[in-house]
Amino acid sequence: MKQVKTLKEKQLNVFLSQLGEKAQLFDVRESVLPPKRYFFPSQEITFTFNKKSKEVKTAKTSKNFILFGISLKDLEAITYLDEIMQKPVKDNFYFNKRDKSILIGLTGKEFGVAPGGDIILRRLESDEYEVVVVTKKGEKLLKNLDFPLKEKDRVEYEISKSKTMVELHELLSDPELLHDAVKWSWQGYSKIWDRLAGECLNCGICTYVCPLCHCFSVEDSVDLSGDECRRCRKWDACTLPEFAKVSGGVGRPGHSFHNGVKERYYNWFYHKFVRGYLEFGKSQCVTCGRCKKYCPAKIDIEEVLVDIVKKYKKIKRTQE
Amino acid sequence: MKTVSEFLKVMQNIYEPIPVKIQKIQEYSESVKLFRLAKLDGSAFPLNEKGLVFMPGQFILAGMWGYGESPFGPASHPNDSSCIEIIVRKVGQVTSAFHSLKEGDELTLRGPYGNGYPVDFFSGKDVILVTGGCGIPPIASLIEHIISNRNDFGEVHLLYGATTPDDLLMKDRMNEWRKKINVVLTVDKPACNWDGNTGFVTDCLEHLKINPANTVAAMCGPGPMISAIENLLNPIGIPDRRIFVSMERKMQCGVGRCQHCVCGDKYVCTDGPVFNLDEIDKAWDK
Repeated sequence: MKQVKTLKEKQLNVFLSQLGEKAQLFDVRESVLPPKRYFFPSQEITFTFNKKSKEVKTAKTSKNFILFGISLKDLEAITYLDEIMQKPVKDNFYFNKRDKSILIGLTGKEFGVAPGGDIILRRLESDEYEVVVVTKKGEKLLKNLDFPLKEKDRVEYEISKSKTMVELHELLSDPELLHDAVKWSWQGYSKIWDRLAGECLNCGICTYVCPLCHCFSVEDSVDLSGDECRRCRKWDACTLPEFAKVSGGVGRPGHSFHNGVKERYYNWFYHKFVRGYLEFGKSQCVTCGRCKKYCPAKIDIEEVLVDIVKKYKKIKRTQE
Repeated sequence: MKTVSEFLKVMQNIYEPIPVKIQKIQEYSESVKLFRLAKLDGSAFPLNEKGLVFMPGQFILAGMWGYGESPFGPASHPNDSSCIEIIVRKVGQVTSAFHSLKEGDELTLRGPYGNGYPVDFFSGKDVILVTGGCGIPPIASLIEHIISNRNDFGEVHLLYGATTPDDLLMKDRMNEWRKKINVVLTVDKPACNWDGNTGFVTDCLEHLKINPANTVAAMCGPGPMISAIENLLNPIGIPDRRIFVSMERKMQCGVGRCQHCVCGDKYVCTDGPVFNLDEIDKAWDK
């Protein structure tokens, strides 16, 4: 029987405080915003430029930090975001922080293969966790910590099903179908996009809470002395009206390439389920459910996608 | 798959631009200026595998600290590694800041990015180049490339239109171009000393003698101009796959990540900025 390391529930606080002594610790258990913000913050100064010395300074993080309490779905999202930020060329600002991070997942019993992270605490039946070491980085941290973990016989559990967005979770196993259906829906089922355009408030919240959305804009500013210039990278949202707008010149309104809510909201789906599939072979969604939970207009993307796929399949059947 | 220039793979930080000096400013009009940019130490810009500074139609991101960066298709000769020339129309914050600068001042540069016009596909064929107003830069670099390799191409026609004769840019280079290619200029509002054509570029196109089976078209211009040209070329036997257009979109990163330039399945910055019209027509948000 294979032995596993375990940690008692009541030891968790001591475990965490010891972790906190090794590196800065962020407990993300109750976080509304996804863990992407630790590697890709909502605002970050990327470069500073001094007009007098003409020196360019690049922002760098030098200290290690630990994220504790990441859900399985968020771990999966970080692994995917690593890929997005790696290809076709490495995003230095993201990886500067990502490389300094140690990820500790916190899950229920459910999981087959670890979707990411360095260590995963898996809640067992009783009031204890199995400490699953995923990477060398995680192994090193545990070794340095020297925390007394108990050994115990490994118990196999059945992998439980996704608790959020169950139907969408199932649909995601066929990203090609989602690609085809969403692509078809623009013309084939335009009614749904007309309806959603009337509901979407253009607030961008769905993109901010999404653990995979990564679009950004860059904004420069100058300090009051006029010498220090800062280049700031900020989260943007493809649903915001200015997202695809270019200047038009003095007295001219400029042109937006995604002028209506309908185009912009569809583009968000298009990125997740069409371009995501074309670029990476999978949809850009891990069914964390945040977009639905925090949408002020109560749009449920699961409902939307299930509806689209249903209509698409029906059309396909009648064509055959 | 996304196109990534070789230089990006060796860069320390893909977002860090290099400083460049404004060697020369040429004022075309109150709102349009040409900037010749050179390395601070006077060294040459790196060459790609074809021995060019950039492919005609590729773009660079020129910037100014404190104001930001904007995409420009260079207008200079792609063989000339001593400088990169861009033409800047004052339209927004970044371009207005550029216009406040003088010769000797510094800007920043990243790139080149994107694909450029498929010059290898053009070789052996007749080429129709169509553009208007400020769309001339990438076409100009393509013309320079064609002229440097003149025997590789058949008949070459430039159809260039603008509102008034003063809005026609790069007239100083056209005498050289005229020796090697057919240059047709047209304006909407002629001045009294204007001896060129009056009307749209489409009117000039109708007067060209074309062998459609062996002709390609390259364009840089606004949507209505592109549609009008497409509507003329398709019926005479030049299909969308042989018509290439440089697209304009908002851009921030240049490497296919920030999402601002998406156009259906494509990223204008990495899959483009040059597309054939067939690719564009199939995009849901063309």
